[in-house]
Formats: sequence, structure tokens, C-alpha cells
Amino acid sequence: MGTILSTRAVSKRFGDVIALDDVSLEIREGEFFTIVGPSGSGKSTLLRILAGLETPAAGRVRLRDTDITDVPANRRPTCMVFQNLALFSHRTVGENIEFSQKMKGVPPHERREHALDMMRIVRLPESYYGRRVTHCSGGEQQRVALARALASDPEILFFDEPLSSIDYRLRKILEVEMKDLHRRTGKTFVYITHSLEEAMVMSDRIAIMKAGRIVQTGTPTDIYYRPANRFVAEFMGEVNVFELANGQIAELGIAAPTGATGYLAVRPEFLRKLNDGERADVRFPATVANDYMLGSRTHYHLDTGKRILVAEVAAGQAAEIIVGAKAEWGFDLSDAALLDE
Amino acid sequence: MRRPNPGILTMLPVLVFLLAGFVIPILVVALYSLMPPRTFDLAGSPTFTNYATAFAEGYWRPLMWSALGAAATTLICLVLAWPTARVLAHLAGRWATLVTLLIALPIFISESVRLFGLALFMMPGGGILAGSIDALFGVSIGTILYTRLAALLGLVYIHFPFVLFPLLLGVSLIPKDQVEAARDLGASGWQVFREIEAPLAAPGAAVGALLCFVLSLGANAEMNILGGQAVTVITNAIEQRFNYAQDWPLGAALTVLTVLLTAAVVFPVLKRIDVDRLARR
Repeated sequence: MGTILSTRAVSKRFGDVIALDDVSLEIREGEFFTIVGPSGSGKSTLLRILAGLETPAAGRVRLRDTDITDVPANRRPTCMVFQNLALFSHRTVGENIEFSQKMKGVPPHERREHALDMMRIVRLPESYYGRRVTHCSGGEQQRVALARALASDPEILFFDEPLSSIDYRLRKILEVEMKDLHRRTGKTFVYITHSLEEAMVMSDRIAIMKAGRIVQTGTPTDIYYRPANRFVAEFMGEVNVFELANGQIAELGIAAPTGATGYLAVRPEFLRKLNDGERADVRFPATVANDYMLGSRTHYHLDTGKRILVAEVAAGQAAEIIVGAKAEWGFDLSDAALLDE
Repeated sequence: MRRPNPGILTMLPVLVFLLAGFVIPILVVALYSLMPPRTFDLAGSPTFTNYATAFAEGYWRPLMWSALGAAATTLICLVLAWPTARVLAHLAGRWATLVTLLIALPIFISESVRLFGLALFMMPGGGILAGSIDALFGVSIGTILYTRLAALLGLVYIHFPFVLFPLLLGVSLIPKDQVEAARDLGASGWQVFREIEAPLAAPGAAVGALLCFVLSLGANAEMNILGGQAVTVITNAIEQRFNYAQDWPLGAALTVLTVLLTAAVVFPVLKRIDVDRLARR
């Protein structure tokens, strides 16, 4: 798969605030690429630069082999689904979806056919064609926005946190639909969110941003199990981070992997209760302080006397773990990630 | 005992005011327009003679000049106010306040004073503009004072704020992201204006245009002070009928015709504006 969109050393500042600091990335043809980061990390600015709604102060943006840094949004083969959707409130569903084709001068009956096709793709009933967008529910508006973006037949679709204001249940449904839509259309999706969960569910690859820089890029698995640093590890869900000092895991008083300094990150699912005689690279006694049922799995808070750790156990194996009981717990170093910072 | 509806009670002062200050006078005027020419009481037998006279004696001409002047003023004000409103809507904080003040402050000065000021400015020979240019560069220029153009300039100058401020409200109702979305979907600058900005700002523009049209239609100070004898507008004609000619019924008939013309323009527009959308802001 070749690169469809890339940036080289893109920077942008607003007054004294540095929004983007030397950002380079490559997005591949047909992939679902998600940029994740906390608010203020610069992800929206990056997306707006990719879409042509903002120009970078320095650096270049390329679409395949063409430099498009100075090409405005209306002349880029890309389309954005905005955070609050930006549907044309004075127009009907049909008029919204047909907008890009109307701008190109496509005759009305052809536009209508095309719009109805798009509505089928996003599963909007045909009867919505003449309805005012302001009379549609949140989920329906979402679909109208998607259909409108698809109708312009873009090579790349940008999404600026379109699901952020939608309630949990509907969001889950739309996440799945979005991923299906990506598969069916085969277009390149570039998605922005501050939600790790959303990113993990939908993406082929994820870029993590912090303070205007990309900290790590990789598949969800890569990023989850092999985080580049402590920030990524903690941003991507529950994790136990141990500080390594003087050749020891300080908080456990146990010898560290040879010569290592920095941090050791262990996901909760790799902490396990040890049976008699069972070996583990790192082992320590702990009391089960509390349990949190999460459906298919349970989280336990373990009190080592110095700190609280989180362990995750699949539902079938939880029977033998009792709150208040003291036991030996441990993990293997092959399951832990060694972090420099 | 049933208590009166509180809504009606609170409306009462306004109702009384409108009745005494608007409805009754206009009914009296309408009645006068049906009285025999040059009579001064309301007891005569009703006749349409005055309306026939109005058309026969060519009073459609000043009415037309008034309507044309009002329409031209409205159009020019809209064209000027659109970019101004856009700039003001996007200007943040102190600058917006300053520019708004600069435009709004003259409203607090009497219209006649401002118009005489403008006349002094345009005066030939020793006028502010001509005199300064003559003194500085030794060039003598003519003047547009006492022409239709000068009157139109005065009309635009006086009524510009009445278009600008409602339009500003309308423009600030245009969501920025809808404009961006339109651009992103391939719309050119002109297409964004036609498809998104104009329809969304339309209520504000319509309110401003109506204010401007109605006020300009009834204006006569601009004509008298800046236009001189260049053009007679309907308000001058009405004033002459009532004052110099002492023909109240004809004056009343002309008034009714002007009111009807105004209504014919105002009501269709008002019907289409969603005033609530503006007020909710």
C-alpha cells in the first residue's frame, strides 16, 4: 500500500501557543488512520491542515506526489465531517447531500439519484430526502453528514470527533457502522478522537499526539502492548507503571531486568495470581483491596503495601480470587514493556 | 368573578398608545381622503375625486421618485453594509466596539444638523471640500450639491446604520463551520455567498432593508437640504397640499397612496421573515 497523504515537518502556532511542532506523518492508501490525543494536543489543527482549512506556518503537505500545501479545501479531493456536523440548517436532507454535486453543476435528477444512493449506503430511509435536517435526530444527522461527505466522492474522508457529542449506546453502534462503511467504500479515512476506545475499535493505525507532536504511530496492538513511553502507555488504558531505580523495581524492592533504567509498564491482564510453586519473573505478595466487575472480565485492585496495582482476570478464572485475601502475585518480563521516559 | 387575563392587562398601555397615536389618526386621514376637495370637515359625502385628481395631476411622479430613491438607497446600503457587517462580525473585541461606535454615534446627532454639515461640505467655491482643494492644490472643482445624486448620497448616509445593524445580527447568525463545510464540499467564494451566507443572513438583511426602505420613502429633509429643487418627492407634495394649498383631502389621498405603497412592499417581505430566529439570538 502506497502513501496517499503525508506531511513533512509541519508547524503551526496561534499567538504564543505552539499548536503543531514539526509533525511528519504518512497515511497509507485505503487505511483507517486515527489521530488520538488529549484536548489541546494539536490534533484538530493537524486535521484542518490536512483538509486545507488551515495553512501551516512551516512544512509541506503532499497528496501522493503532489504538493498540496497551498491548495484550498474546495480544490482538494478530500472531505471533512465536522465535529458538530455543520449541516446546512436551512436546507433539507437531500439538498445537504447534493450540495457538492450542485456546486459542480450536475443536473437535478442526476443529483437526486446520487443522493438516494448515498442515503442507501449510510442506511437512511428514502423518505428522509425531503426532510429538514433540523427535524432529524442526532444519529440521523450523523448519517446525513456522512452521506454528504461521501457524495462528493472524495479520495480521503476526514472526521473531526463526529461522535463526541453522542450518547454511549448510539456511539457504539455508529463506531461499528463507521468501520463497516470504511470497508465497503475502500476510501482512506482519517479520524480524530480523544477516546482511546474509539480509536482502538475502528483504526488500522493510530498516531498519538501530545503537545503538538506525534509521540507514536502504529497499529492498535503495537501501541497497546509496545507503547513508546509512559504517556502513551497511560493514555492507552489501564496500566501498571513501575519506576526502575538503582537496578531495582523501587516500589516492589525487587531486582530489575539487567541494567535497565526508566519505567516498566505492565497491562493489568498480565498480572496473575500465582499458585504454589508457579514461577514468574517478578513476584510479590499483595492483598486484594477491591473488585470491579466489567462483564467478561474483572478488575482487581491489589495493595502491595506501597501502592495499588490493577490486575485483570477473565470472568471464568475469577472464582478463586477473594477480596481481602493475601496471596502471591506476579508477571513475566516478556509481557512488560520497558520505557525510557 | 373572573379575573382579567394578565396578558391583556400588560398590553393595555401599548394598545391605548397605538390606538390613539396610530390607528385613529390614520383612520382620520383615510376618511379625509374621501371628502370633497378643499373642505375642512369630515361630514361631507364620501367621494373618490381626490384620488382621481392625484392621478390626473401627475402626483404619481413624486411618488415614483420617492419609491425609486428609497429602492436605490436600500440597494446601495445593502451593498455597502454587507462587507462592513462581515468585517465587524469577524473583528473581535475592542476594534469591533470602536468601529460600531463610530458608525452608531452620528445617530445621536440631529438629522438636519448632519445634513446641513454635509451640505456645507459639498458647497461650491467656499465649501469645505471645494475650498480645501482650492486652497491646497489651486484646483477648482464643481459640486453635486442640489442634484438628485446629492440627495441620494444624503439618504444613504442617514440610513446606512439602519441597514448595517440588523444585517450585522444576521451575519453573526451564520455558523462559521457551515461556511467551512461548504468550501470543503467544493463551493467557490461566490457559491458560498449564494448558497449559505445570503440565505442565513437573509432575515437580518430583510429587516434592515425594510427599515431603510420605509424610512427613505418618508424622508424629505435629504431632498430639501441636499437636493434643493432638483426633485420633488411625495412627502414634499403632501406637505404642500396640507400647508400651502390648504387642500387637506388631496393631501390625505396622497398620504393613503403612500401608505398603501409601503404596505405593498412591507407585508410580503415581513411574511417571509422568521423574526423569531433573529430574536432568539
